[in-house]
Amino acid sequence: MTDRPTEDPSTFSPLARLFLWCDDPAKVNRLVYGLYAVCGLLAIVDFLYTKKVYLAIEKVPGFYPFYGFFMCAALVICAKGMRLFLMRDEDYYAPRDTDSEAIPEDQLDRTEHNG
Amino acid sequence: MATETSHHVAMTLHDHLPMLQVLIPFIASPLIVLMGARGGLSWLIAFVASLASFIVSIVLLMEVIDGGFISYAIGGWAPPLGIEYRVDAANAFMLFLISGISTIVLPFAYESVKAEISAKHHTLFYSCYLLCFTGLLGVVITGDAFNVFVFLEISSLSTYALIATGAERDKRALTAAYDYLVMGTIGATFFVIGIGFLYMATGTLNMADLAERIADQENNRTIKAAFAFILVGMGLKVAIYPLHLWLPNSYTYAPSAITAFLAATATKAAIYVILRFTFSVFQPSFQFEVYALEFIILPLAVLAMFAASFIAVFQSDLKRMLAYSSIAQIGYMLLGIALLNSTGLTGSIVHLFNHGITKAVLFMGVGALVLRSGSSFYSRIRGMGRVMPITGAAMVVGGLSLIGVPGTAGFISKWELVQATLERGWWPLAFLIAASSLLAVIYVWRFVEVLYLHEPAYGADHREAPLTMLVPIWIMALACIYFGFATEITLGAARTAADGLLAGTTGMLESVTSTEAGH
Amino acid sequence: MVDVLPTALIFFAAAALVLVLPRSVRAPVLLIAPVLAAWQVWTIPEGQLVIWSLMGLELELMRVDKLSRIFALIFSLAAFLGNLYAWHVRDPVQQVAALLYAGSAIGAVFAGDLISLFLYWEGTAIASVFLIWARRTEGAYHTGMRYLIVQIASGVILLAGAALYWRETGSLTFEAMTLGSPATWCIFIAFGIKAAFPLLHNWLQDAYPAATVTGTVILSAFTTKLAIYALARGFAGTEILIYIGAIMTLFPIFYAVIENDLRRVLAYSLNNQLGFMVVGIGIGTELALNGTAAHAFSHILYKALLFMSVGAVLFRTGTAKGSELGGLYKTMPLTMIFCVVGAASISAFPLFSGFISKSLILSASAKEHYDYIWAILLFASAGVFHHSGIKIPYFAFFAHDSGLRPKEAPTHMLLAMGLTAFLCIFIGAYPAPLYALLPYDVVYVPYTTTHVITQLQLLLFSALAFTVLMRTQIYPPELRSINLDTDVTYRKFMPGVITLVALGLSRIWQQQTSFWMRKLNLIVGGLYRTHGPEGRMARVWPTGSMVLWIAILLGVTLLVNFFS
Repeated sequence: MTDRPTEDPSTFSPLARLFLWCDDPAKVNRLVYGLYAVCGLLAIVDFLYTKKVYLAIEKVPGFYPFYGFFMCAALVICAKGMRLFLMRDEDYYAPRDTDSEAIPEDQLDRTEHNG
Repeated sequence: MATETSHHVAMTLHDHLPMLQVLIPFIASPLIVLMGARGGLSWLIAFVASLASFIVSIVLLMEVIDGGFISYAIGGWAPPLGIEYRVDAANAFMLFLISGISTIVLPFAYESVKAEISAKHHTLFYSCYLLCFTGLLGVVITGDAFNVFVFLEISSLSTYALIATGAERDKRALTAAYDYLVMGTIGATFFVIGIGFLYMATGTLNMADLAERIADQENNRTIKAAFAFILVGMGLKVAIYPLHLWLPNSYTYAPSAITAFLAATATKAAIYVILRFTFSVFQPSFQFEVYALEFIILPLAVLAMFAASFIAVFQSDLKRMLAYSSIAQIGYMLLGIALLNSTGLTGSIVHLFNHGITKAVLFMGVGALVLRSGSSFYSRIRGMGRVMPITGAAMVVGGLSLIGVPGTAGFISKWELVQATLERGWWPLAFLIAASSLLAVIYVWRFVEVLYLHEPAYGADHREAPLTMLVPIWIMALACIYFGFATEITLGAARTAADGLLAGTTGMLESVTSTEAGH
Repeated sequence: MVDVLPTALIFFAAAALVLVLPRSVRAPVLLIAPVLAAWQVWTIPEGQLVIWSLMGLELELMRVDKLSRIFALIFSLAAFLGNLYAWHVRDPVQQVAALLYAGSAIGAVFAGDLISLFLYWEGTAIASVFLIWARRTEGAYHTGMRYLIVQIASGVILLAGAALYWRETGSLTFEAMTLGSPATWCIFIAFGIKAAFPLLHNWLQDAYPAATVTGTVILSAFTTKLAIYALARGFAGTEILIYIGAIMTLFPIFYAVIENDLRRVLAYSLNNQLGFMVVGIGIGTELALNGTAAHAFSHILYKALLFMSVGAVLFRTGTAKGSELGGLYKTMPLTMIFCVVGAASISAFPLFSGFISKSLILSASAKEHYDYIWAILLFASAGVFHHSGIKIPYFAFFAHDSGLRPKEAPTHMLLAMGLTAFLCIFIGAYPAPLYALLPYDVVYVPYTTTHVITQLQLLLFSALAFTVLMRTQIYPPELRSINLDTDVTYRKFMPGVITLVALGLSRIWQQQTSFWMRKLNLIVGGLYRTHGPEGRMARVWPTGSMVLWIAILLGVTLLVNFFS
């Protein structure tokens, strides 16, 4: 299913075509560099204005960027570690659980884009 | 009206109401046989008689609900020598319940009996029904200890016959009736032995008179033995937990209409007798009585609440499940009595009433299901809630009331009982009441699941029950909801009754003097 | 004094109407009822408007003040949006359940005493479970059962608390309480279960992903926010709530990162958002309580929006698992945009609704100098962005192309999402109308240079972390799996232990009974030879044992009587 070599992008709605660059690695790279740039800018801005804050720690230059980045990295790494002993197969609780069963088709409306 | 004079005093019809209460069905019963009435007419006579005595009971209840008394001397023979009918809030409330249930069950019975009993037996069936009805009314209304026994036997003997009429559908009704006959007779014998002891110790049979004479005889062993015999003998009729073995079979195999009527009234009348004897004849201050209630009745009540509920959870026959649930619910009523305080007694009396109407809904609902599916086994009635939505909805209401969901009658009485346990400071009991209600959730859920969450069984009659069944069922279902909100009638009457009962012998004595002075 | 119709009755009447109306006109009724209710809530004056007498208790059915009004308003709004989203549903069970559920929630918000609160409390439990059962699978049945048991337990504990409270104080009025007595603890725990306190939370993540496509959207709005309202009413300023809330914001985000089912990811992030509100209640200052109310308001909207967009994906593809999705932006661009709006709102980007409500709570905690709590909340905000803000849209609509090419969501869903998205942005950009609704006067300005810049720094650097981890492939991939949570105790361990104990007991029991039975059989065998056919013995048994019992009971009673 994953490969659709013959797919014609012009069947997508005009709105969707605006986002097609997401499939182009080069353009995604450009977006990522853009993000790096904005982040850098924001880090510099931190030194350029007077903060009006309640707590002392907030005044430390670069606190927010630093906190945002490292705490999130830590979050992901911890969570990944949790997987080691918390992850189970999808049918672990089956059949008394919905994870391993499909939603009945009559409650869905699976229609293909071209259909 | 207890006249001292020997000549007969002219009285109005209104003054004869206590007598009429019992007399109407009592006369109507042989009338049915004498007229040799077939099907429709015999039902009509029974219904009219029941309706008439229901009206009488309402009038009586209105007169005594504020705490008054009516004493009626049969044939003008003044008590304590003559037989006395005595109506106060407690038994007027019971009369109201019994005759009310009967009046509502009878229309239901019409179709149900036609389907379950062959036409040639209808005449005798309705005749027996009225006798049983008479007996229950008599047990409740009379103020004479031996007369209680007489009426008890009238109701019991006709009950045995009525249960046996279920034999046309299932032969086991015969054994059930036979078992009940043997055991019921033992119970009645114990009861009459107890009364014999009382007579031996006091030389009187009038309850008020008895109360007066044994008030200072707390340590008389004859009196103590009398109490034990009466409590145990009547306990059998009540179906106190280990003495309940007659009940499941009787309720299961009896015709549906009879089950609905008996479940709502018979055990309740027996509980009333226990109440009357425990509180009015014997003194609630007697040490032996307090011990008997606290060390015997209370544990058995709690045992019933759980053991019978557990059994109910595992039943696969709806009627039998409801029978076991009745035994559990009787546990609640006994618990209220054993708490020996006003709130507990109120809770007990209200629960007696509320459970009566709740079980009436459920057993009538079962009757309707049986009419359409032919059996009350879960496997046969599955999915019937979908094809009989009106009956099913009423049964859900009844089920909720049985659990004690707020907004239904069942909640009011359980709430009172919980309050009563807290008043005594017995927290664990309050917890146990809640815990056993959870068991009720399970067994009620089981039948709701059977009724709704399965495909209807193949081969059953997929029609709604006839209107003559639906109307009585819904009257009761609405009553379950109505009495869950409008509590003035039930709680008010029960409070008056409880206070009257708790006043014990003093209450009785006062009434004697007041009637002598007043009438 | 019944001169106002209790708002809940509008919904109940609509539910009754739905039952009798033909299919085609049911859906409009589902939309009209919330509009009527919202109009009523908007226009009625404050005060005790409806009092019913029951058993000598006064049931206050309509206590209107600013706190209850804002919750009733957002509940009506949520009911409207949810029902619009469910326009295609023809299942009367879901339609009636949705109405009864919304009605009960609003009824509970207006309840002025503990008994009517309890009635509506159980009402929400019972009505809502049908939204899960409506999926009509075996798993949904069991999940619904677990959900129902937890919810009913919460109600029973509440009733117990109410009974104790009555005995303690002689009053049943639902007002501010002080934690301390058994009564208040019972009530507190009942609220806590519904608010998904840590360790009591698992029903939420268990049940919400199991509901129907539209059911989850409706579920997400009411139950937990009702609990938040109840806590705000009863336990404002209770310090322990600050710590409970802080833990609540913290632990779900870890789970959310590794969870595969996107609806469960949202359930975890819902739990985390509740944590913010609970902290606000715990702080209990005017600013904090305003924050809680505002956050509940905006949270219901953006959470519904997120559930709607994931639901639309589920509706079109049959799955909501991150591992199965991806690349959907090509054919569901509108749904994707609405999802991003919801994601931006929950992440509290400036100009989106989360920004103007969450900051009230953060500022309150900083102002009262709960430094560590503040730091935790800040971390949780960054974490929220991580799992809800990036993960949901990224794995559903971008990431690797799953090859699925479903059609765009149906029009009524787009309409519901569009409306909700509009509200999210409107509130975020122009908070004054929302602030005017809050229980206390607001003197707070969310859009200051400092606030905007620091928030952007936090969020963009969080995004940076995501990007870096993604590119270095450290980020845990979406896998078909589930993660153990506290529910493992009652779904696996306890049944396991019970089975073990039961097995052991039954083995002992069997050994013992078989031993005694052998003995007994010998005796009975002897009796049998002398006493005739088995059938007769069996028939006599109940009578015989009853007679035995009656004799025993009589004996015991006599003994008790004689020796008393």
